[in-house]
Order: sequence, then C-alpha cells, then structure tokens
Amino acid sequence: MYSNIDNVKVIGIAAAVSEKWDSVMEVTNESQEVLKRFVKKTGVEGRYSASLKQTTSDFCCAAAERLLTEKNINREDIGVLVFVTQMPDYRIPATACVLQMRLGLSNNCIAFDVNLGCSGFVYGLNILSSLMSTSSARYGLLLAGDTSAREFSNKQKEKIGHTSELLFGDSGTATLLERSEGDSLSFMSNTKGSGFRAIIAPYGWYRNPESPDGRIHYSVMDDIEVFNFATNEAPEQISSYMDKKGTTSADYDCLVLHQANLMIMKRIAKKTGFSEDKMLVSMNKFANTSSSSIPLTLVYTYGDSEENKSINALCCGFGVGLSWATVGLSVNKKDILPLVHTSEYFKDGYNLDDLEENNND
Amino acid sequence: MTEQEKIALIEETLDLDEGTLTADTVLDDVDEYDSMAKLSLIVMMDDEFGVKLTGDVIKGFKTVGDILAVMN
Repeated sequence: MYSNIDNVKVIGIAAAVSEKWDSVMEVTNESQEVLKRFVKKTGVEGRYSASLKQTTSDFCCAAAERLLTEKNINREDIGVLVFVTQMPDYRIPATACVLQMRLGLSNNCIAFDVNLGCSGFVYGLNILSSLMSTSSARYGLLLAGDTSAREFSNKQKEKIGHTSELLFGDSGTATLLERSEGDSLSFMSNTKGSGFRAIIAPYGWYRNPESPDGRIHYSVMDDIEVFNFATNEAPEQISSYMDKKGTTSADYDCLVLHQANLMIMKRIAKKTGFSEDKMLVSMNKFANTSSSSIPLTLVYTYGDSEENKSINALCCGFGVGLSWATVGLSVNKKDILPLVHTSEYFKDGYNLDDLEENNND
Repeated sequence: MTEQEKIALIEETLDLDEGTLTADTVLDDVDEYDSMAKLSLIVMMDDEFGVKLTGDVIKGFKTVGDILAVMN
C-alpha cells in the first residue's frame, strides 16, 4: 500500500541504550573460529544489553526525555504517542499509557501500543503521521524499541544457536513529528501474514499458554525463510517506492536499512542501485535492534554532528509479520541527537524486589 | 565449470580450506555448515548460477553431491 501524508515532518530523533556493551567474544562459549565467521557474515561485533530490571520502555523514555528537553517542546502540545514494541512492560495495560504518564504528557494526548518488530519504525511513522494529519495535534511522538537480546534463543535447533543468540541487541528510540505546512511523508507498506511462522514467540500467551519444554519466553526464527523474504521483497518495495516518487538512488544521501544482518543489507543495496558507502551500518556496534535499528543507525551516524544540513534518507524496515515498509525522510543533522546511555528503570511498585525493599524500610 | 571447480566454490563459500570436501562428504559432518553457511550458499547460488534456493531445497541437501546437482 502506498500512502502520502501532507503537512508532517520529522523534527527530532534520539536513541538510548544501556551502559553495558559486550563483544560477541564475551557473551558466548563458541569457538573463536565460529565467532570470527559470525562477525564476518553478520557484521555484529558486540551489543548493548539491558540490565535485568530495564525494559524497552526505560530506553524509550530516556530517549524521549532527551529529545523533548533538547527541542524545548511544550509537552501539552504533544497529541499522539505511539509505542512500537514486541516487548511491552505488561500484558495489560498498553505500555504507551505508562509512558504518557512518565513523560508528563497531557490527558489530551492519545497513547497506544503497536506490536511490530523490524518494520515497526516505518509503520509507526505512518500511523502517527496519519493521525496527526486528521487531528489538531501539533506534535506526535513515536517511541520504538525492543529488548531482543534476552528473547532470542534457537538452542533447540542444531548448529544455529550461536547465530540468533548473538544477533540481537537492546535499545529504545524516540522520534518527534511536527505539523508543518508544505512538508509530507510517503510510505510503501506490505504485510504477508502467510509467513507468520518465520519469526514467532509461540508460547506463553493465550493460543499456547504452555510450551512442551516448560520454557515460554523465547522466540524462534527460520533464518532461511527470513533471508529469502528480506532479499527479495525489500528490494522490490524500495524500487517500487522510488518509481512512485520518481527518484533514484542518486536522490538520497543514504540508505538506512533495518540492521538485520550484513549479508542481507548488502544484497538489498546491490539490488536497488545503492553503493555500499551510501548504506549506513550500525549493527557492528548495536547488533540487530528490531524496530529501533533505523533511528538508532541515524543517531550512530549523525548524532554527534552539529551541522545545520538536511539529509535525505531512504529507510526500509522488514521482518516479523512478515511485514515490510519504506519511507523517505528528510531530517536535519542537528536534529539527530547524540546517543543516550541509561541505567535507570521504572519502579512501578509491583516489582517483588522493590516491594521487599520498601517493607524493610 | 568442472565438478572440482564447483567443489572449490562451495569450500570458499563455507570458509573451508581447499581440498576439505568431496562429492560424498556428508554435510551434517561439516561443523562449518551452519545457518550462516546456508545463507552464504543462497547468495553464491543466486550470484553464480541464478538459482534461488528455498528452505525446503536446502533441507534436502544431505551431501556435497546434492549441492553440486543444482549448480547448473
């Protein structure tokens, strides 16, 4: 589906990670030989991982705080908050409601969660900008992230354990949109539900409350199906998008792909006419960070630049669903903030350790 | 391309030393034949032979000879 939404603009991007970075050599017992091959093929040298009590919303909250403070935004003027994640704080309620409170936003700001992964940043922008275009909201806030490092484990499958265990990192991002006459955002989005088994956390909720081996908090991925999907569908969509917009790779300063795996990214760049030097890479440092990966890559690349210059970025996210989406973004480098590190987490009053601590006081 | 050249290409794709594989080598016995290697195989087959490998086809590969059979 192609959609064009008028009078909206991205005016700020921030991202947050923990203070704990581990190289792949430190987080597994795999042999050096296997790890060298893993680094060469995936591009992942290490990752940031959340502490035990940190959740995705803690990273998104830290990124949003920095963004709203730096941009000096009146929080009363934020009309929509969309939180894209596969790892919400609670089964009920939507974590976006809690984030609305934590960020001190108004009750006039609508807030809800969207359950999407690697395509989620672009889907989230599409949803947010659509709502802004039909409301009086001056600003909209997209929070996107996941803490997948603790989620993925394919240990039950032979000889692929090292791949999924090391491939994912934790982070959260915040992207600020403003109503802006004359600006617009265009999207090309697709969903292929017949591929729902390719990336799935099948146990622990209502369809299958229990698993055969008693473990419920893990996801499984069919690497080959995902690889074939990503390297065929994403290039086709990017090419269709550029055809629709009447653009070529020469019209963009950079190609920002979901940081899935270096092999996948190089193939997509090659098939869409982008040179590898235009394809931004952050997964060497952050691994695959799901819906965070596109804004996090922009922060990693431009976050320390104070240059007052707009860049045209062609962004494409693809993954769980299966779903995939493309958007062209024009963002000023000075509106892309430096990376935030945080060790903070939200004490909601329900954590057993915190309850015990309070009782002892 | 001779069979030997094709085997050399598979060895290069799987990051193996030359002379490691024969047509009879059982893939399950090759430590390096893991999920990343399978993705590299997909890329090589597409680039060099225009062959699109699906998951089912890859699951059917038991020996190096099975891979050679689709390298046309």
